[in-house]
Amino acid sequence: MGDLKNKVVITPTYPTVGQEFIKWVVVEPGLFKYPLGEGEKPALLGGRCTKCGKIFFPKRSLCPDCFDDSFAEGTIESIALDSRGIIYASTVARVPSPVGIKHPYAYGYVDIPTNKIRVFALFTGAEPESFISGQEVELVLEPVAVNKQGQQVITYKFRPILERRY
Amino acid sequence: MRDVFIIGAGMTVFGKHPDRSLRNLGYEASLNALKDAGVRPSEIQAGYCGCALAPMLQGETGVGANAFWEVGIKGIPIVTMENACSSGSTALREGWMAIAGGHYDTVIVAGIEKAVMPKGTPLNVGAVELEQRLGEIFPGTFALIAKKHMEIYGTTTEQLAKVSVKNHKNGTFNPYAQFRKAVTIEEVLQSPMIADPLTLLMCCPNSDGAAAVVLSCGERAKKAKSRIKIVGSSLTSGMYENLRDFTSWEMERRAVNQAYEMASLGPEDLNVVEVHDAFAISEILHYESLGLCPIGEGGRLIDEGITELGGKVPVNPSGGLMSRGHPVGASGVAQVVELVWQLRGEAGERQVPNARMALAQIMGGNKEADTRTCNVHIFMKE
Repeated sequence: MGDLKNKVVITPTYPTVGQEFIKWVVVEPGLFKYPLGEGEKPALLGGRCTKCGKIFFPKRSLCPDCFDDSFAEGTIESIALDSRGIIYASTVARVPSPVGIKHPYAYGYVDIPTNKIRVFALFTGAEPESFISGQEVELVLEPVAVNKQGQQVITYKFRPILERRY
Repeated sequence: MRDVFIIGAGMTVFGKHPDRSLRNLGYEASLNALKDAGVRPSEIQAGYCGCALAPMLQGETGVGANAFWEVGIKGIPIVTMENACSSGSTALREGWMAIAGGHYDTVIVAGIEKAVMPKGTPLNVGAVELEQRLGEIFPGTFALIAKKHMEIYGTTTEQLAKVSVKNHKNGTFNPYAQFRKAVTIEEVLQSPMIADPLTLLMCCPNSDGAAAVVLSCGERAKKAKSRIKIVGSSLTSGMYENLRDFTSWEMERRAVNQAYEMASLGPEDLNVVEVHDAFAISEILHYESLGLCPIGEGGRLIDEGITELGGKVPVNPSGGLMSRGHPVGASGVAQVVELVWQLRGEAGERQVPNARMALAQIMGGNKEADTRTCNVHIFMKE
């Protein structure tokens, strides 16, 4: 048996507003709201063209279709994407991640039918091999790695849902 | 447009060259191409060099100018260009356009790269795309494509393994290949899983190496010992349609069709083909985009042996990226060097008999689950 005394067990600590000692950073600004307020549900932040209604994630500066059509920039308004989707494709990465994610880890793409958009997604909440195309998943915000400054990196992931909606 | 010919070709052995500089590799390939063409450095009017990763991996810019000067090429317009895995083929297209458009008569094109990483280190291709910053890895993208192709068309892991087996076998006949060892289906399937369902032996290696060709036209080309005509050249970029079908690249089919149209021919006219087999699934998709078989039937094509040496349309007789190796910016030119040798009948044990029409396809750069760039070139024996 190994020397358990000297083993450091790291329990993920979820950041709490107002507590200075908890350090975290979001993986990329603008992808989702964080931290969440009381009772607030996680959501990806996208953009919608006010002219044609096309939705982009992440939000972009102009709508490539409408700008080309009329040379009018129109407006891309911010929207929160539906938190539920369906896996389009998934894989399990079994090599070290350049961005410090512990392997093996599952990822792929999730279609969000409500918004007619497909997003890149890490998967969580079940065995990496268990994620299959057609499976219904929902959004969660979770730590994914610890950066060089020792901060927890918060990202978005999708996890299985049991209750069917589509 | 003027007719443009490849009159000289040369390359280094691909593999691990830890003690050689980029310019030294470029020197050898350029010298081989010049000697092969019988062209003196002072006859070269412009130089185009494909190199994708040197600024990031070696901290070196101006690789083309550095390498071409080693063979005494100086004073002329020289550019080094980055276009992901299509860097070398993009340089070829620039050289072709410059001569076809009447700007120069004789130019040199090279692809030079050192991409071998310390053992166990993934290739640093930068993390500028959102997906990469979120956790995407290069093989994973192709794993997703493979999963989807298997789901929709019933393609099997055995068929993926067969692509690797074929290309490794071809590599045993190529003295310029990084790997010259045959593998079995079982060995491919039992090699370490990288990203489900792609195993290590279904992925191309990272490599060092360089390749070069000399292009010319008119009377100068007639004086050369051999002329291979460039009859088709295309370059496309992605449309980045968010809900695109992962099992086929529209941007690749577009590049293929443009090249076929320019050359006034179709897939049935091809005798030998080099494609970008970065991953086993890629080659299956390229069969379909090239029209060697209908969409979804790439797995059947490998089963039937049509793309093997001795088959109706041998694909990657060189061993492809998987066996010859993949020095990113050099691969696009190395494919062309192989096809020049094939069309001349100089390919030794891997020679495709009586090859007259050849096609090279290469693509690269993941972006928004699509691909940034794709080059197709078609060559004809004069």
